[in-house]
Amino acid sequence: MAERLVRVVPEAGLHARPASEFVQTANEHDCEIRVAAVDSGGNEEDEPVDASSMLGVTSLGVGHDERVKLIAEGEESEDALDALEEVLSTPENGDSGECDGDSESEGNTSKANGEEE
Amino acid sequence: MDYDIDRLLPTAQITLEEPPAEKDETIAFLLDLVVENDRVNDRENALEALRERERETTTGVGKGIAIPHAQTDGVSEPSVAFCRSEAGLDFDSMDEQPAHLIFEILVPEGGSDDHLEILSSLSRSLMHEEVREGLYDAESPEGIQAVLGEAID
Repeated sequence: MAERLVRVVPEAGLHARPASEFVQTANEHDCEIRVAAVDSGGNEEDEPVDASSMLGVTSLGVGHDERVKLIAEGEESEDALDALEEVLSTPENGDSGECDGDSESEGNTSKANGEEE
Repeated sequence: MDYDIDRLLPTAQITLEEPPAEKDETIAFLLDLVVENDRVNDRENALEALRERERETTTGVGKGIAIPHAQTDGVSEPSVAFCRSEAGLDFDSMDEQPAHLIFEILVPEGGSDDHLEILSSLSRSLMHEEVREGLYDAESPEGIQAVLGEAID
């Protein structure tokens, strides 16, 4: 079993987009991951919930700059904790502009090398 | 939670009528319960805030539940509205299940903690299967309110 304390950096806390990225990341790993609020704002119980459940994660009510405890069991535990820590440590990248909805840009569409003039 | 359930979720903001089949329309349908209960001074503003939040990422939290929410000065006080969909709505939830129990939370801007606190208290109570069952079984707005009044701490 691996455990880690992580501070939640995104302004929204563990909520909205950071929360859905967190849950998605938890779902991508083949191990059991739980998460508990540490500096509980509303929740006094500090009981860990299933990190792959959006309902569970939302129930924690973890705000910006509060900490969570991540608990992972299974083969990919360390990888999973690394990935989750990364999500929680990444401030939200700016306003996503006016583009309609999901404009996750595909980065630099790499130009074929030989085509330079 | 420091809210009186009668104040936060009055029976006037609970309906057992089948909501529209589309998520967007259901969000407006729930807002209109709050409008009819005289707590909304700017419907467009409130609706846009809800849609904006929905565009960021879905509020379908799985287990048949969706909780669209927004902070907006379009409402005069923290308010929750509820409807139950027999058909189930596509909320694009991560567990790919349709949403049957839909809560809409509207909180005036400024009280950012209120907003998260209501959302987390509600989510916490909905994690219990008996609470969800109670909401499916309730036969009146009073019944819904009673289940939640009991469940929300």
